[in-house]
Amino acid sequence: MTARRMLARDWRGGELGILVAALVLAVAVVTGISAFTTRLQSALEQESHRFLAADAVLRSSREAPATLLEEAGRRGLQTATTLSFPSMIYAGDEAMVLASVKAASDRYPLRGELTYSSEPFGEVLSAAQGPQPGTVWLDSRLFALLDVAVGDSVSIGEAEFTVVAATRTEPDQAAGLASFGPRVLMHYSDIPATGVVQPGSRVEYRQLYAGDAATVAAFTAWLQPQLENGQRLLDVDQGQPGVGRALSRAERFLLLAGSLAVVLAGVAIALAARRFSERHTDYVAIMKSLGAQARVINRLYGSSLVLLGLVATAIGCAAGWALQAVFFALFADQLPVMPGPAGPRPYAIGFATAFTCLLCFAWPPLRRLGQASPLRVLRRDMPSENRRTLGDYLLGFVAVAGLMWWYSGDLRLTGALLLGLGVTGVLGLGLALTLLRGGRLVGMSAGSIWRLALAGLQRRGTANALQVVIFAMAIMLLLVLVLVRTSLIREWQAQLPADAPNHFMLNIAPEDVQPIEQMLRRSDVPSEALYPMIRGRVMAVNGQALPAREDATGESERHQRGANFTWSDTVPAGNQLVAGQWWPAGTDEALVSLEEEFAQRLEVAVGDRIGLLIGSEPLEVTVASIRKLDWQSFRPNFFMVFPPRVLSDFPATFMTSFHLDPGQKSFLNQFIRRFPTVTVIEMDVVVEQVRGIVDQVSAAIELVLGVILAAGALVLVAGVRASVDSRLHESSVLRALGARRGLILGGLAIEFATLGLFAGLLATVAAEFSVYLLQAWVLDMRYVPSPWLWPIGITSGMLLIGALGVYSCRGVVSSPPLAVLREL
Amino acid sequence: MIRAENLQKTVPVGGRELEILKGINLEIKSGETVAVVGASGSGKSTLLGLLAGLDEASAGRVVIGGTDLSALDEDGRAAFRAENVGFVFQSFQLLPALTALENVMLPLELKGQQDALNQAEHFLQRVELGQRLDHYPRQLSGGEQQRVAIARAFASRPDILFADEPTGNLDSRTGEHIIELLFELNKEHGTTLVLVTHDLKLAQRCQRRLQLEAGELVVG
Repeated sequence: MTARRMLARDWRGGELGILVAALVLAVAVVTGISAFTTRLQSALEQESHRFLAADAVLRSSREAPATLLEEAGRRGLQTATTLSFPSMIYAGDEAMVLASVKAASDRYPLRGELTYSSEPFGEVLSAAQGPQPGTVWLDSRLFALLDVAVGDSVSIGEAEFTVVAATRTEPDQAAGLASFGPRVLMHYSDIPATGVVQPGSRVEYRQLYAGDAATVAAFTAWLQPQLENGQRLLDVDQGQPGVGRALSRAERFLLLAGSLAVVLAGVAIALAARRFSERHTDYVAIMKSLGAQARVINRLYGSSLVLLGLVATAIGCAAGWALQAVFFALFADQLPVMPGPAGPRPYAIGFATAFTCLLCFAWPPLRRLGQASPLRVLRRDMPSENRRTLGDYLLGFVAVAGLMWWYSGDLRLTGALLLGLGVTGVLGLGLALTLLRGGRLVGMSAGSIWRLALAGLQRRGTANALQVVIFAMAIMLLLVLVLVRTSLIREWQAQLPADAPNHFMLNIAPEDVQPIEQMLRRSDVPSEALYPMIRGRVMAVNGQALPAREDATGESERHQRGANFTWSDTVPAGNQLVAGQWWPAGTDEALVSLEEEFAQRLEVAVGDRIGLLIGSEPLEVTVASIRKLDWQSFRPNFFMVFPPRVLSDFPATFMTSFHLDPGQKSFLNQFIRRFPTVTVIEMDVVVEQVRGIVDQVSAAIELVLGVILAAGALVLVAGVRASVDSRLHESSVLRALGARRGLILGGLAIEFATLGLFAGLLATVAAEFSVYLLQAWVLDMRYVPSPWLWPIGITSGMLLIGALGVYSCRGVVSSPPLAVLREL
Repeated sequence: MIRAENLQKTVPVGGRELEILKGINLEIKSGETVAVVGASGSGKSTLLGLLAGLDEASAGRVVIGGTDLSALDEDGRAAFRAENVGFVFQSFQLLPALTALENVMLPLELKGQQDALNQAEHFLQRVELGQRLDHYPRQLSGGEQQRVAIARAFASRPDILFADEPTGNLDSRTGEHIIELLFELNKEHGTTLVLVTHDLKLAQRCQRRLQLEAGELVVG
């Protein structure tokens, strides 16, 4: 008898339905999520490349050789070049302003878009590339400062340019606030004519590269080892820390979700296979009595599994493809770019998942079918020898761990979930066995429905305990996902509230502080406090001079660097002290508080001495404390904070940040006219971009959550169905004895709801534990306990399992008992 | 043909060994029809299971046509059953997912016989179920199911047929019909028939009766 014929017969007999459904759903979910996340990641990556204006950037202080651009071009990459430097810009005979000039070659930007308007603060238009040779775009406020209009001439160095537009946003403008001064955008080819860029000028060259991911990766791998001092390769994470972190967390969440799909799939398959093998024990006994050898049986079931795996993989992959296609269809208008196909990997993952699950979950019980005693044909009440052994559980655990690890590529994520699952397993079996046994004593004194239900629970004690653990694992995984999703989205929203500051104001003279505060208040513009700001330079650590940046060796970031200083008697809002102590108010000790990463780059700790240069004045201070900042908050943040009296002799300007609604933009025109020396940096577009990404990621997370919930439901259904046969049998006997509908359904409801109660309780405990591990190890978030989870976990467990159980057993009260007894 | 020597079977029950068969010695000749009778719990089914090689004896041995079953492992016994033994059971033991025809084909396929389909059809026609080849067991009456089981038992042309209460689940008229069929086919094929029964009428039809009492043979 061939496997194909046996499968066809089993299919006709309805034996294979659940196993196939579990397998197809497993493959579909894993493939679908994997393809979806792969494509989403590539879309988000493309989106985030907008912040670099390219896929990769080589930043250098001296012009990088053109041979690099040629090599990139030869490999099929697009390239562009930019050069940024501070320079005076002149108009007419008197007006001059120190501007931040950026010269860009033809194709800039390679990613994202450049926007301009035909008059200052006018309607925003998008441009494929920057100004043509001989022309410049000016920052809106430069028009007021230089008193020029579109069509007028301005000069930079020795060259003269025609003003043709107001520059509004550049994709890579968020690369740091170090770029002071209003922006002037010009063409790269005009640089020699200006004569302002000389060897030794403080300039920043950038070579931009873009192309398909593999080519870019190959190119950067080729480039990396050739980097010289003063050259750095930037990718997404370095270009925009805020976005990079949001993206990597989102990616981890999606991988977490995918890993849960693997676990849930495995459990569903194990349950279905177990039921399949239980139903086949008699089948095998008959075949053996007719002379079939164990070898024949094993070959038969083995090849059946392979066949089943192939068919289910094919259907599952098709369904997975459809699933991600539906996702993207729902999602299309939220994505800035439509990503390319996901490639073969998701389907390979689906295939591997199907066969690993079949081998590790389905095969052990089926393999033991070969050992079933043929004597069962004479004695049907013989206990089935097809018990799961410790080895089976170990094999399953290892399989789940391996798949999760392979799938997520993240050992700590895998570890956190497995520990949670382990806690559920061990705690659960012990607890369930104890409580289910105790229940019988209570039941004896209760009414007959309760006695019936609790007797049932106790009689199948071990099987029920196992079932509780399986339910608990499924519920736990779902709770973990809901919890992580909720805290991720909440944290993102907290970082970017609707009134988050979206403009910065720098260079405020001390005498302008009060009038500006008044103007902001009168115009109803919410703003942060005004912080004093002094520009200075770190020159030495513990008396040892630091090298200039250009001369720093290797990857070390320990070199002279400029920074913005402020002073304060209190810890600035949103800052968190991680080492040392804050100074007492009014101290005149020469102390400083450093930002954590800044301190790491300088390789200093509390107690070290730092030599500074402010203007031409040297100053030595001791590190008193180290702070953690939230760089994603768009508040004024400072690397170095001093006690007020230490800086009181140095000339300071002030800065602040404030929030402007789109309708309030005209405020800027009035403001610039009144305070022409103040620098205003518009971050609203960047804030919107970050918020857009966060919204997209949140939507993706919700969608994935929905799919995983479906997978969890399948496990619950498979788990309930696994025990339905024996319950149906008992209930039929009871009905034959004259028990009423209400008694039987009531008993079943109590039985399943009790299982659900334990499962929910267990799941909640384990979920809290796992979420704690995940947030601490994987997601880099602060753990907050979730008391609201407890009633939800427990109640939903009870209701869900109770309802599913009664629903699955409803046949027993709607069809004649004899029919049910004959079916089994 | 079939020889049992000092056949014993004990099973552990609550920490003690319970003796089900206490040293059975018997011999059944080729072509003979034998009924094993006795009260419930006397060990009839256990004896049948051991004689047919479905179970292993605790001591003693069963030799069929020169083959010592006790010396074979389960796979060896399975191969032996496929070649030499047929069964008819009280609860029919048809595979519910297979049609009547497929059920009869099963042992032939296990033996690797090429014309399984024709053979199976022939035997189903012989038991007057030629019109119901494609019916599933649940679509057949008890008597019809047992006729399928008889067709299955004879289709592989075994030397020995073991029957466990073949009429136990049937009403007396259907039962009689099944008995007729069983003995007719037995005569046609010259099979050795060993059956366990409570049914006196059925036991009378056999050439010899073996009476079991509390695990011991009292009439043999």
